[in-house]
Amino acid sequence: MRDLVQRSAAFLLAATITATGAQVLWSAPALAGETLDRVMSSKTLTLSSDPEYPPQSFLNDQNEMDGFDVGVAREIAKRMGAELKIVTPAWEIITAGNWGGRWDISVGSMTPTTARAKVLDFPAVYYYTPAAFAVHKDSAATSVADLNGKKLGVCGGCTYEAYLNKDLVIDAEGTPEFSYDVTAGEIRTYETDINVLDDLRLGDGARLDGLLSARPTIDEAIRNGYPVKVLGEPAFYEPLAVAVDKGDPEFSTKIAEIVKGMHEDGTLRALSIKWYGTDFTSAN
Amino acid sequence: MFRRPALIFIVSFILLATANVGGGFFGDLLAPAAEAGWHLRIAAALVLSLIIVANLEGLRYLSFKWQVGIVWCELLILALAFFNSFGLSYEFIWSRLPFLITQGAFTTIYISVAAIAIAFFIALVGALAKLSRNGIAYGVSTFYISFFRGTPLLLQVYLIYLGLPQLGFIVDAVPAGIAALSLCYGAYMAEIFRAGIEAIPAGQREAGRALGLRDGIIMRKIILPQAIKIVIPPTGNQFIAMLKDSSLVSVMGVWELMFLARTQGRSEFKHLEMLITAAVVYWLISIVFELIQARIERHYGKSSLR
Repeated sequence: MRDLVQRSAAFLLAATITATGAQVLWSAPALAGETLDRVMSSKTLTLSSDPEYPPQSFLNDQNEMDGFDVGVAREIAKRMGAELKIVTPAWEIITAGNWGGRWDISVGSMTPTTARAKVLDFPAVYYYTPAAFAVHKDSAATSVADLNGKKLGVCGGCTYEAYLNKDLVIDAEGTPEFSYDVTAGEIRTYETDINVLDDLRLGDGARLDGLLSARPTIDEAIRNGYPVKVLGEPAFYEPLAVAVDKGDPEFSTKIAEIVKGMHEDGTLRALSIKWYGTDFTSAN
Repeated sequence: MFRRPALIFIVSFILLATANVGGGFFGDLLAPAAEAGWHLRIAAALVLSLIIVANLEGLRYLSFKWQVGIVWCELLILALAFFNSFGLSYEFIWSRLPFLITQGAFTTIYISVAAIAIAFFIALVGALAKLSRNGIAYGVSTFYISFFRGTPLLLQVYLIYLGLPQLGFIVDAVPAGIAALSLCYGAYMAEIFRAGIEAIPAGQREAGRALGLRDGIIMRKIILPQAIKIVIPPTGNQFIAMLKDSSLVSVMGVWELMFLARTQGRSEFKHLEMLITAAVVYWLISIVFELIQARIERHYGKSSLR
């Protein structure tokens, strides 16, 4: 009996290893046009969306995904004649690439940096976010220069952290020029911008002296009673793009066309004003 | 009889006075109008120490059952007071609670139960293989146990969810999560099972052989039934740990308890509400499983009843 168990276990394992090896050898690269074909034939566009980023994307009162990014994705789906389906994997799973057809598109306010462009395709920029510094409302700081040498909070692995580290590269067309105006004394990184805001709200200098984040996120926090204020002019404008998996140029072209149409007929502007109260669809 | 309460009183008085309980919430409760100062600090420490000593002395005259019940109630009230001190919006919690339970808690329980069931079988095979004299079986099982105990569960979740598609297998989030959890916990439980099997004295096997029984029968009818009794408490422990580790599958976008706790309050910046609610829900689920574990233990422990 015991021998039987062991032998069959060993056999199963050997079989699995062989099958896996064979699979590796035989697996073919993704076929061109695959994503577009899947969307058009199933009439479903699957969106991956971050549920922790109000007002871009979040879970609303009805426990459904809602927000600016979700609105944009819904409009893209409509223009493709497809239903929108939403999945919510973590950010690092989206940016890992190789989606394998689990979802088709990410409308997730992603900055199309050089490093990310090696993993994903960015067919279209759909809006620009001003990055702003913020401090606790009791802070004595009057300009961003007062933040030199201070403890600043920022989301880990995002463009704001890259800016504070002075190695931000945004290689999307039409990215406005920017300069590094602040040298942080200490950079503290967090999982999301909300964690940063939560630490700043504890008090001026309690854990953080200031933070760098997206202006819309800070505005939303202020609207919800966070005791923080925006400091100075935007540090930089970040173009934000729709992302798709590599390997289907036809799908990318189609998305680029649709987003261009949404820029031209004012649909994007209307969505931006609906969710942010401001037109963020062009820089400055 | 006299010295112990006096000692407790002095120690708690010094500790409370140093911690300055009078300066915080308790001081406000004791003397709402009084200014914070050294006299309030002394008074608060005095009153609290008296309460503590009176409470401990009072409890001594009760039976064991009553002691346990009252201590639980008191600690529960303290915990609730702690939660209450955050100034949470209960209205918000009530409005989101049904979805948190029907979607979140349901998914958490379903993933954990599936994973523990699979882990149980993996562990059994792993333990038997590790105890065998067959070099291949021993090698495979020690490699498996070493790898899955030696790497973080979160990493295993990523490896299975992001790694398998590279080989052409596109697994969904829930099966990937169940696979990662059962492989990881299977490794831990294999060691528990091995220890349980080894704890059965060699004489039992020898007696079985002397009766002319085959090895398989000895294992199934003599060793395992006795080992199960030893293995249940640590297995229950693993299950409760898994219940909470199942929150790691939320990185793949599974809408389980922890995922909803993190996201439901986001749009209104009320995540503390949902995090605390989720803590309470996790706790309640664990209590239910603790009770189930106690029942199973009683069932398999019949042989040792005197």
